[in-house]
Amino acid sequence: MLLLPGAAHTAAPSYHAPDVPLALYLHIPFCRTRCTYCAFSTYSGLSALIPPYMDALAHEIQLVGGGLKRPAHTVYFGGGTPSLIPAALLGHVLDRCRDMFVLPPGAEITLEANPGTVDDTYLRALRQIGVNRLSVGMQSANADELKLFGRCHRQDDVHSTVHTARRVGFTNINLDLIYGTPHQTLAAWQHSLDTALGLDPDHFSLYSLGIEENTPIQRQIALGTLAFPDPDLAADMYEWAASRLAAAGFEQYEISNWTRPGHASQHNLYYWRNLPYLGLGAGAHGYAARIRYANIAHPAAYIECIASQPVPLEFPCSAAADTINSVDRRQAMAETMLMGMRLTVEGVSLDAFRARFGHDLWSIYGAELDRLIASGLVEHTADARVRLTPRGRLLGNRVFIEFV
Amino acid sequence: MDQSLIRNFSIIAHIDHGKSTLADRLLQITGTISERDMQEQVLDDMELERERGVTIKASAVRMTYTASDGQTYEMNLIDTPGHVDFSYEVSRALQACEGALLVVDSTQGIEAQTLANLYMALEQDLELIAIVNKTDLPAARPDDIAQDIEELIGLDALDVIQVSAKTGSNVEQVLEAIVRQVPPPKGDSSAPARALIFDSHYDSYKGVVAYVRVVDGVFHKDDMLRLMSSGADILPIELGIFSPNMRPVASLSAGEVGYIATGLKTVRECRVGDTVTLYHNGAAKPLPGYKQAKPMVFAGFYPSDNDDYDDLRDALEKLQLNDASLVYQPETSQALNFGFRVGFLGLFHMEIVQERLEREYDLDVLATAPSVEYQVLLRSGDVFTITSPAELPDESTIEEIREPWMVIEVFTPEDFIGPIMDLVTGKRGEYISMEYIDRTRVLLKYKIPLAELIVDFYDRLKSGTRGYASLDYHFDEYRAENLVKLDVLVNKQPVDALAMIVHEDVAYHKGQRLVSKLKRLIPRQLFEVPIQAAVGKHVISRANIKALRKDVLAKCYGGDVTRKKKLLEKQKKGKKRLKMIGNVEVPQEAFMAVLRLDDDD
Ligand SMILES: Nc1nc2c(ncn2[C@@H]2O[C@H](COP(=O)(O)OP(=O)(O)OP(=O)(O)O)[C@@H](O)[C@H]2O)c(=O)[nH]1
Ligand code: SF4
Ligand SMILES: [Mg+2]
Repeated sequence: MLLLPGAAHTAAPSYHAPDVPLALYLHIPFCRTRCTYCAFSTYSGLSALIPPYMDALAHEIQLVGGGLKRPAHTVYFGGGTPSLIPAALLGHVLDRCRDMFVLPPGAEITLEANPGTVDDTYLRALRQIGVNRLSVGMQSANADELKLFGRCHRQDDVHSTVHTARRVGFTNINLDLIYGTPHQTLAAWQHSLDTALGLDPDHFSLYSLGIEENTPIQRQIALGTLAFPDPDLAADMYEWAASRLAAAGFEQYEISNWTRPGHASQHNLYYWRNLPYLGLGAGAHGYAARIRYANIAHPAAYIECIASQPVPLEFPCSAAADTINSVDRRQAMAETMLMGMRLTVEGVSLDAFRARFGHDLWSIYGAELDRLIASGLVEHTADARVRLTPRGRLLGNRVFIEFV
Repeated sequence: MDQSLIRNFSIIAHIDHGKSTLADRLLQITGTISERDMQEQVLDDMELERERGVTIKASAVRMTYTASDGQTYEMNLIDTPGHVDFSYEVSRALQACEGALLVVDSTQGIEAQTLANLYMALEQDLELIAIVNKTDLPAARPDDIAQDIEELIGLDALDVIQVSAKTGSNVEQVLEAIVRQVPPPKGDSSAPARALIFDSHYDSYKGVVAYVRVVDGVFHKDDMLRLMSSGADILPIELGIFSPNMRPVASLSAGEVGYIATGLKTVRECRVGDTVTLYHNGAAKPLPGYKQAKPMVFAGFYPSDNDDYDDLRDALEKLQLNDASLVYQPETSQALNFGFRVGFLGLFHMEIVQERLEREYDLDVLATAPSVEYQVLLRSGDVFTITSPAELPDESTIEEIREPWMVIEVFTPEDFIGPIMDLVTGKRGEYISMEYIDRTRVLLKYKIPLAELIVDFYDRLKSGTRGYASLDYHFDEYRAENLVKLDVLVNKQPVDALAMIVHEDVAYHKGQRLVSKLKRLIPRQLFEVPIQAAVGKHVISRANIKALRKDVLAKCYGGDVTRKKKLLEKQKKGKKRLKMIGNVEVPQEAFMAVLRLDDDD
């Protein structure tokens, strides 16, 4: 069994006390162009807003931090395309995080980078400001797929990005790949993954393409000019990838994530363990102090909201918070299951569940779990965890819906 | 009220010829409805009627009209539905009247239900006033149509009133004609009071509200009443009239139409067709009532959620008070558990009942494919009837199966004779006759099995004739045919609710279509599911629904939780609408698949 660092603290008694370490998510809602499958909260053509946006972001960190110096264990620049932001501006924001929160030495600081947006100088600068994990949006090694996705990079760019990153000292590099796309063959997928393995990364996120509403790719499928991806073929691709990565020494720890030992994403584990995190920046989502909230999506509106806020508001929201929902115990339990069941090794620990909610897992979800175990989608391990079976990994929704 | 100043009439016509619109104008001219409350087809007040633009239930309204003779008349109007499935509503309304307005659309001419309704009115000896409507339309041919009417009923074409119910043009003349031509009621005001219940609805405060036509005598609001056939004695909550809303009155006397709010709770106590009389000094003899409507098609109605069985039973009971043609009895299905076998006058009726249950009673109803009523002759010589394929006894005990045959009458422009002929013969129909009803239109008569008629016949007739043909039908006879039971097995278990009775010659074809249809309709499950069609022990078609392999959200991070949860909730809701048959989840549409076997999707 793969033991993930940090698994022990899932038994902490209160998850929303002020001294519980947080994860910090910083959203960068800018992209050069829009990819055809993308439904993220991001904008193209707004690069003029970048400097005031980064100022507002630093300001929000200060407002939410509120001088309490809460501990924070990870920082994650997600997007959008964080690698479009000049390193100096990112550094400024990171400094503000360090001012307002206590980051332990060596805390994981991730930045999502699009190949073709970064060079040697930039990557060096990232190292300098403390970024120690790079997540590279490779998506595919096949030119026709990159074209279909509307990505503005070529395979060469991935190659040089990863090599340069290694050279300047990144020891924790993730590659994102997409499979199960229209007209994609198993051979094409195998080529992408093998090419990616050749780059020798530390971590993989493999995503089956989701057809999101109101994306160009969805419209083409609706019009019939693109075929809807065959889900059985996608299942074959997934199974092939799982065995290929296992043979290459990677361990799967989440439905779509694999790692070399010791390189699991600490930040993302916060989500799957249903631990508190702050969402900072336009369109960011956060969950802390029993509140789920989302900031206003448009960067200009965000800048305005933050500028209009003179003093800290009640933690964890700033004036940019657009939707705020409190999470009751029942919901928190459901979300703990929903997210925790995604962790393919760790799953949901019975002890941790009891420690957190004061109830035995079976007394809350006994009927659901019994049913799922009987149908072979979930297993109850010897070390008192429930988690997906290998078959359940491809049928996760059948498990998750039992808890919503 | 002096009976000589009362006029009772119904408005009858083929569907969409403008009955309800004409009623609008009559209500307007007589000031029964204020301009402020006026809306199109104001009497179609049921949500479903407004949405679909058709009348489903007859409505009665009292109007007062001062005629050119200077006298003020009490006029009771009953607007009726035009769809063939609701002709029982029409026949009951007619029995409460002395006259009928026969409306014909001057762009369409005489159609199948024009004739059917006309004959019903003549059978009741009603005074007929013929009206040609929609004269405002450019395509109107009012003189030609008036001529056709003259030939049909021997009424002088000059006496046919040409109106536009939409603009109101000439509608005043209709009121004058009613005053002049429709005879006043001839009840005996001094005889013991008697009233015919011609319709009803259920009101949660007032109980069953009986719509009555008083024939003899007088009812006062504090009179104790007796329902003659049910034997129920009641002190009514109120007497009243529709104007068009319910308005209490102190009395209802011979010749008048109104309502009695009975306070009763069930249809057993207050049945349409029953006679109301006084408790003290009541009448000795009831009025002739109604024949119970004869249902043509039957379907199983099951609550999607088994826990809603009692709610479904209550809803059916209440709905029956609103729809006297509805019949039902409890039924059990191995696949669907407890439900009801419900009888309908036709498929449209079935659709309406299902929708009303879902909307007005907030139920989720699963309907099985409709079936007709078969007669089964056993080797032992016994004959019995079944309304569901599941009731068919073991093959070896059956001597013969008889199915209902209908006579249909199709009105159509002559251009479509060919396609109609093909349609009918493709459905085992037999030609009887053809006759020209005017220069370009013919009346075709055929015999056809009812079971074929209820499966997409009407839709295909309409689409094959660009909407021009109209259809009427009535029962003809039972005929012994080569019928077999087609079983459907899902995951190797026969599913009673999917079985069909089919002609042996088409069993193979239907079995194949049904299996491939079900394969498309039943979602993939966690395991492979074989679907088979079989006649007796002989499997005639099979297909496998492959096991579901992949159903998982690829991504779920912090930003996604709320949105992803919504997606999962939606998926869960969708799954809840599926019915568990054994351990297979089957959608509602699968049970209706037999109706669409010939769709090419
Ligand atoms: N132009 C025109 N349209 C009319 C006239 N009378 C009715 N219509 C239209 O014809 C359609 C059917 O009218 P309804 O009054 O609902 O007909 P109906 O006979 O009550 O129909 P059912 O109750 O469903 O049988 C509606 O769209 C009316 O607006 C008319 O005199 N002129
Ligand atoms: S780079 Fe990422 S966030 Fe930007 S448009 Fe493409 S997929 Fe969306
Ligand atoms: Mg109408």
